[in-house]
Amino acid sequence: MSTANASAIAERGEPEHAATFALWILLATELLLFGPLFLGYVYVRTHFPDAAAAASRHTDMLLGTVNTAILLTSSLCMAVAAERARAQRSTQWWLSATALLGLAFLVIKGIEYQHEFAEHLFPDRGFAPADAISLDRLHGMQLFFLLYFAMTALHALHLAVGCVFCLGLTVRGGRQHALAVELTGLYWHFVDVVWIFLYPLLYLLGRAGG
Amino acid sequence: MKQYRLLIIVWIALLLLLAATAASALLQLGAWNSVLNLGIAALKAGLVMLFFMRLRSSHVLIRLTAITAMATLAILFALSSTDYFARERYVAPYQRPQQIAPVLR
Amino acid sequence: MTSAVHRGTPASATEAIDLGYLGGKFSLWSWLGTHDHKRIAILYAIAITTFFFLGGVAAALIRIELATPQGDLVSAETYNKLFTAHGVIMVWLFLIPSIPSVLGNFLLPLMIGARDLAFPRLNLASWYVYVIGGAFTIWALIAGGVDTGWTFYTPFSTMFSNSNVVLALLGVLIVGFSSIMTGINFIVTTHTMRAPGLGWFRLPLFVWANYATSIILVLATPVLAMTLVLVGIERVFQVGLFDPALGGDPLLFQHLFWFYSHPAVYIMILPAMGVASEIIPCFARRRVFGYRFMAYAILGIGIIGFLVWGHHMFVSGQSVYAGMVFSLLSFMVAIPSAVKVFNWTATLYKGSITFSAPMLYALGFVGLFTIGGLTGLFLAALALDVHLSDTYFVVAHFHYIMVGGSVMAYFGALHFWWPKMTGRLYSEAWGRAAALIIFVGFNLTFFPQFLLGYEGMPRRYHSYPPEFQVLHLVSSCGAALLAVGYLLPLIYLGWSLFKGKPSGNNPWQATGLEWETSSPPPTHNFERPPVVTRPPYDYPEQGEPA
Repeated sequence: MSTANASAIAERGEPEHAATFALWILLATELLLFGPLFLGYVYVRTHFPDAAAAASRHTDMLLGTVNTAILLTSSLCMAVAAERARAQRSTQWWLSATALLGLAFLVIKGIEYQHEFAEHLFPDRGFAPADAISLDRLHGMQLFFLLYFAMTALHALHLAVGCVFCLGLTVRGGRQHALAVELTGLYWHFVDVVWIFLYPLLYLLGRAGG
Repeated sequence: MKQYRLLIIVWIALLLLLAATAASALLQLGAWNSVLNLGIAALKAGLVMLFFMRLRSSHVLIRLTAITAMATLAILFALSSTDYFARERYVAPYQRPQQIAPVLR
Repeated sequence: MTSAVHRGTPASATEAIDLGYLGGKFSLWSWLGTHDHKRIAILYAIAITTFFFLGGVAAALIRIELATPQGDLVSAETYNKLFTAHGVIMVWLFLIPSIPSVLGNFLLPLMIGARDLAFPRLNLASWYVYVIGGAFTIWALIAGGVDTGWTFYTPFSTMFSNSNVVLALLGVLIVGFSSIMTGINFIVTTHTMRAPGLGWFRLPLFVWANYATSIILVLATPVLAMTLVLVGIERVFQVGLFDPALGGDPLLFQHLFWFYSHPAVYIMILPAMGVASEIIPCFARRRVFGYRFMAYAILGIGIIGFLVWGHHMFVSGQSVYAGMVFSLLSFMVAIPSAVKVFNWTATLYKGSITFSAPMLYALGFVGLFTIGGLTGLFLAALALDVHLSDTYFVVAHFHYIMVGGSVMAYFGALHFWWPKMTGRLYSEAWGRAAALIIFVGFNLTFFPQFLLGYEGMPRRYHSYPPEFQVLHLVSSCGAALLAVGYLLPLIYLGWSLFKGKPSGNNPWQATGLEWETSSPPPTHNFERPPVVTRPPYDYPEQGEPA
């Protein structure tokens, strides 16, 4: 869609443009919803660098990397689905694949959470990592895990909502199907972008033993 | 398959970048680890936004929306850091003595 | 397409009017399930008025307590709960939604020549979210109360307060989503649904103001949402991102909180400025002076408003370097506001001025906003702020802006557009009387507080040294007068609904698309979509004959 054409459309108030614009504004609000968590992360990382690295080593880098690959692939499936929807072709398989990959991500995340709970890494009163050598280290690790759980849980919540929408779209057809797939796709890719940043920030600190 | 060529190429690039960031994390590069990781993350995010979210061909209004959101977040980080990175340098009489200063590495 | 004309039951001496959107279906569901932006605006008005008076009750109790130096009416903890309730209700349940959700909802489609907002069902949903969140918040504030202040500072709110903090946070969080929904709706509507010929620089300034407000709403509110969630998590799990004893930083909370709450004050004032820009040209019979500068100033206030939040933290332990940066930026944000004040004043020059009730409110707005703005500059000066911070000077400053500014503008707007919304004229004599009572009552209440603050009276204290009593007593008497002023419109505006004279389409001879349709407008707003060919505020230029 060329820019000149699009602005003419905007003046006439086409519903597709309005809906897409509205969704991007929603994505803007979502970015700013995650914002404070990222600021909190910067605080912990700069005030407790050793504790943050130690805490990050407790996360499962293999599962995290696999999950990132899964999510990136799900974005491909979603992009293909949107492309096909625009060409009025069937999207069911691709939407299902997207949702399935999303669910796989959530399952793996659940496994990671299970391990972390077992190691007493959930940041409540019972927080007790094996390598908290000082009070300072303990506080730093606890704050890191607060952000780890908050960020990944918020992300997982958004991903779950996305899965629901994808599954819903495989069942429903409807006249506005192409638009619905496009909008769901934008949302899905946003969730992917958030994870693209979460992965290095949470999983890749202190991995070289530093 | 032909019409999805671009999407598949982007996907392969994303996976390669993922491999790069994971592998580089295992090397001891000091501060450069973070720089590299965040740089690669920004590249991946850029690829997803430009090609999967089709920002390249979006209406100018939509690109403006994306930029405004990122700029607002940047303001939050930039102006907060005027506080955090200067707490020890410019001490006021009413500042608590036990303020923890950030350790930059 | 003609709407079925619904004639109201004729009262004894008044004519029946075509009820437009108010007529037609009368059932409860036709109102609670409506998609019509005008009906949703009325729904908002009812909820907002209710919350306003609840917040007012808290204020009344505060002022009664402060009439005497001893803390004799309520305990210290109850007093904390009172000012918290007053702040939470007035900021989040009244001021932030008031002009956008009532007048913005009603007028935005009319002013741009559209049939409704871009997403009517989202609009209705926003009202439900607002009412549910609001009810939840009120419940938290009344059933047990919250004693942290509306600012929820940590670590008191996270680690030490024994009150309904989490419930209140939840309520405010829910209300915040309502704001975001409204913001998205307004932005998309303004961009995509303007009538043919209505370019950006032909828009009424009220539309510009609501547009900028909506941008602030969608960018700032999510930050508040996450901050409140983090406070809740801290409180529940006893983990210390904001608690220095557990490795955290209380200033991190303050940075995040004020990153939202400073732009929030611009959410509260920009629509009020938009209202002033509609009323003043009409009753001076003059085009707005410097229309483009007014529009750019609105955008400028919105943008610079995001850069100044640290001026709430000058004495918090923030680095002095940050203090200097924020102080400088805070001086800069006054510039576009000053441009607007100059332009409103210049609009009056050689005008043919009518002191109608809306005009009295608008003029009062300009004067009181100026005082509030200037005292804001006092507070933006780092050195002065060390002395004035956490005193009644700050309380007086923000009440001059929020009450002398926003509330006056809200009342002015209600009066100005009352004929359009209801089809009836209210009594001008009562309208003017109420405006004057509010103006006098307001100044009696809040001017002494500048003096009190300068002399050292701290805020959020319910007992004080006896030498402050005279000024406090004056302030409390002023508050009583102010209360009378606020109650009067309930009576005469309510009366006008049944007995008021029919107003006709344009009783004020104002420009603007909303005045070209009937009063009240039909459900679909315009019989035929309008085409715009004239500039905005098509009154004579300054200096030309009226």
